[in-house]
Amino acid sequence: MFGAQRPVELQGARGPAEIPLEGLIPHSMNQQTRSHESSETEIVTTAKGAVAISSFSSPQQIHRYRFDEQFGSHAQYKSIYTKRQTLEKIAAKNGTRVVLALGPQETIIGFGVLDFPEPHERWYQLGPGVMIELKAIEVSRSWRANRLAGRIVAHLMRHPRIEEMIAYLVGYSWTWDLDGTGLSAQQYRRMLIDLFTPHGFSEYQTNEPNICLRPENLFMGRIGSRVPEHLRQQFKWLRFGISPDGPPG
Amino acid sequence: MRYPKECVLKDCNEAVLRPLGPEDRELLAEFYSHIPVEDRWCMRYDATKPDVLERWFKAMQDGFVDSIVALCEDRIIGHGSLHFRTFGVTQHVGRFRIVVLPEFRMKRLGTWLLLDLIQLAMDKGLEKLRCDLVVGIEDAAIDAVYKFDFIKAAVLKDYVKDVEGNHHDMVIMIKHLHKGWSDF
Repeated sequence: MFGAQRPVELQGARGPAEIPLEGLIPHSMNQQTRSHESSETEIVTTAKGAVAISSFSSPQQIHRYRFDEQFGSHAQYKSIYTKRQTLEKIAAKNGTRVVLALGPQETIIGFGVLDFPEPHERWYQLGPGVMIELKAIEVSRSWRANRLAGRIVAHLMRHPRIEEMIAYLVGYSWTWDLDGTGLSAQQYRRMLIDLFTPHGFSEYQTNEPNICLRPENLFMGRIGSRVPEHLRQQFKWLRFGISPDGPPG
Repeated sequence: MRYPKECVLKDCNEAVLRPLGPEDRELLAEFYSHIPVEDRWCMRYDATKPDVLERWFKAMQDGFVDSIVALCEDRIIGHGSLHFRTFGVTQHVGRFRIVVLPEFRMKRLGTWLLLDLIQLAMDKGLEKLRCDLVVGIEDAAIDAVYKFDFIKAAVLKDYVKDVEGNHHDMVIMIKHLHKGWSDF
């Protein structure tokens, strides 16, 4: 792959046009929540079988699972997280969150990642731990259209500090699996907005250069209810690369 | 598209983008009354005339024009419009026009309006965007559209005349709105 400044993946789920899972199976079997080794696991029944959506995934937990072979290289698309070790490394960091969708035989068929921006990134400038990036969501091609991405996002948003942080996501169109979904970039963009909006994300304008490279690129944010006003204001300025105290960027 | 959208200008002023609505007629008339005649000259219609605004709002109602406005403290400071046809050989082509109050120029407001119009055009499934700009008068706009990957499709030498009767070239700028990425 070339052209990608940042390896962000946002893909997998279909939009609201899907047949609701609730209509296919008894509600009692649809979603159950239980505790599991300091993690929170939800069992989602799909047409292809039961899937466990597991939050608070520790590196040790992740270690015993294997990646679905669909996370790899395709004709016009390459999964960026193709190694389980990458997820383990992120899960080992303090305050991050990895959510896994686990299919039969302890196979990772989907994942979502919340991770902090690197110090050199624009979004770090509000201070450590203030902004957190929804860095990736991916569902294996063969498990898509089962509404798993929405469940993964819901679990990511259960981060214990989510209301104290500004969560954000960046969608670069060159990382999207247009070939696998059959969608145009603009349709894919709309699908992402539909996926994240119910979880409190809004589309925001920004002049961040990588995002501005293509008009269909997407920046969304979710400002936690306990984020103080001064940080909200700073976030606004940061999006446009300006500072009231300094020269315009 | 989700509106209203908030944007911060280069001088830290804030503006809100939203679609132009039928209730905005007076605000829009007020806006165009502050646009200098040399800028209005580059448009094909005199937007200070009530019948021109009437036609615009009718075209919006009939689905031939989408308009967005930028507001700052309840007054319109910028207006972007996307014009398209629903029949014929150019129904896949949109044209646009962006007008910004003089005191809000060179602060990236035009860029935000342009970005929104491009997304609007893509949402509508248009394949190309076209704008005709006057060299020597609309150079800032020419530079802005270049940065959004518009290409100079044609130059009409000495095609237009300014208010004082001087001839200027007109450039036809085109942007292809791709639906995906190439297989290269």
